Amino acid sequence: MAKNRLEVEICGIKFKNPIITASGTFGYGIEYSRFIDISKLGGISVKGLSLNEVSGNMMPRIIETPAGMLNAIGLQNIGVNRFIEEKLPILKKYDTRIIVNFWGKTIEEYVEVAKILDSVDIDMLEINISCPNIKEGGIAFGTDHKMTEKVVSSVKKNIKNKPLIVKLSPNVTDIKLFAKICEDSGADAISAINTLLGMSIDIETKKPHLSNITGGLSGPAIKPVAVRMVYETYKTVKIPIIGIGGIINYKDVIEFFIAGSTAVQIGTANFVDPEIPIKIINDLKTYLENKNIDKISSLTGSIKIN
Amino acid sequence: MTGKIVFNKKLSDKYYYMKIESPEFVKNAKPGQFFMLKTQSFDYLVDPLLRRPFGVCDIEEDCFTILYTLVGKGTYLLSNLQTSTEISFSNPLGNGFSIVKNKNVALVGGGVGIAPLLYLSKALKDNNNSITLYYGGKSIGDIHLLEYFENTCDYIKISTEDGSLGEKALITDIITNFDYDIVYTCGPKPMMKNVVSVFQDKVENIEVSLDERMACGLGACLGCIIYVKEGDNIVQKRCCVEGPVFDGNKVVWEL
Repeated sequence: MAKNRLEVEICGIKFKNPIITASGTFGYGIEYSRFIDISKLGGISVKGLSLNEVSGNMMPRIIETPAGMLNAIGLQNIGVNRFIEEKLPILKKYDTRIIVNFWGKTIEEYVEVAKILDSVDIDMLEINISCPNIKEGGIAFGTDHKMTEKVVSSVKKNIKNKPLIVKLSPNVTDIKLFAKICEDSGADAISAINTLLGMSIDIETKKPHLSNITGGLSGPAIKPVAVRMVYETYKTVKIPIIGIGGIINYKDVIEFFIAGSTAVQIGTANFVDPEIPIKIINDLKTYLENKNIDKISSLTGSIKIN
Repeated sequence: MTGKIVFNKKLSDKYYYMKIESPEFVKNAKPGQFFMLKTQSFDYLVDPLLRRPFGVCDIEEDCFTILYTLVGKGTYLLSNLQTSTEISFSNPLGNGFSIVKNKNVALVGGGVGIAPLLYLSKALKDNNNSITLYYGGKSIGDIHLLEYFENTCDYIKISTEDGSLGEKALITDIITNFDYDIVYTCGPKPMMKNVVSVFQDKVENIEVSLDERMACGLGACLGCIIYVKEGDNIVQKRCCVEGPVFDGNKVVWEL
């Protein structure tokens, strides 16, 4: 059997390829199964779950910006228990790793959701401390040193079975500091970055385009910021990094690997065309074969300075 | 999937009519469905980034058509695409209109919202319905494709706000007959809201085709939420998956 050059390992878990669809852009996975073979994906990061169902922000929730989009969905989700009952059994039929992104309004709620998820048949947990679109929870935890330490260590102490990924906020002055705090608080891996806080105004009405006033900027427009932050994080921590931010083709993936990623997540590109992650997987395979690179993981952190 | 542009005609200063060849798309498209279209032909360009939703206007053999207006950079780029250019689009998405048989039906369209009513009118004619079209616009420049509707509709009534074609009135003001089994409408939100208010209590079935800004069109982004009444509750629906066609009597127009 031919070797799989695309296989990667994160916290002892093998992924058949490093392409994971990012939370918030891929629903509960099932939505896309009509359009692509989701078993071809390395993994799926499920939409951020909370303890109870959340109905999200008022409309309008999205606006396109140059080479990107702003969203203020507001972490709408069906709640962790309904996910486990209704969605997970369907998702488990597919041959892909399942990462569940989750969040809480309080530290206690973060812990409670994590404990529930720790006991079900999924592969990894991804804690969201960086959503810019909700008043409680989210970014309030990810941009304060003490809160980051407290929420990550509290969750880590209360889970026994699954590796914990912390999704970092780019909306901080120094991401290195937050990456180090996460590593020291017990994070098993880091995903970087979440969306950048942004705003767009209608010049005719002078009103913000989004009902939430501000939103999270994603898409190719944020890729250089994300690559820089992955590079800085890689220099700071020893735990693996999953790179996220504006990836739309295989060249972007290679760039994220060179900057220090062990895997990547594809976000807004899923909206642009659901076939993009599959195309990236195929293109990466061809790239590695043509370059005679045995395994993609050899590219991680291979940046040459000087 | 991809298809070739057969023509991309300018109809007036801001209206365009495009025909695309794609047997695969045509095979599955139902009246009232929409699709996501990349508005430029170059893969490496990422501005505009997102595909745009368009309603299926008509189906002719292996081709489908769209009627669009110049709104922003996406439609501007679209208007510059030449015949034979290959463009990329999704499968037909969302639910469609109900196709009734042997009924008396009214179609009410405003501006570019007339688009999905054309393919609908063909399907309704094939099912032996008597069809009245009410077609409104701000001005004569907003009224298009009448030659196609003349083949499918039994009666056509037109109004413009400036009186340059048909009666000088809002389209909802010229509706005097309410003896229909079902009403279908697509157009600006205030017009559709008026259509529902004109026909409610008189016609049981009113189907409205809604339009919301959407990123994916597949039900994942949750950017296109519509509010509808379900019993005593108001619930969220995704315009792309549960719509774009909704029961007009249940739509909550403003929260």
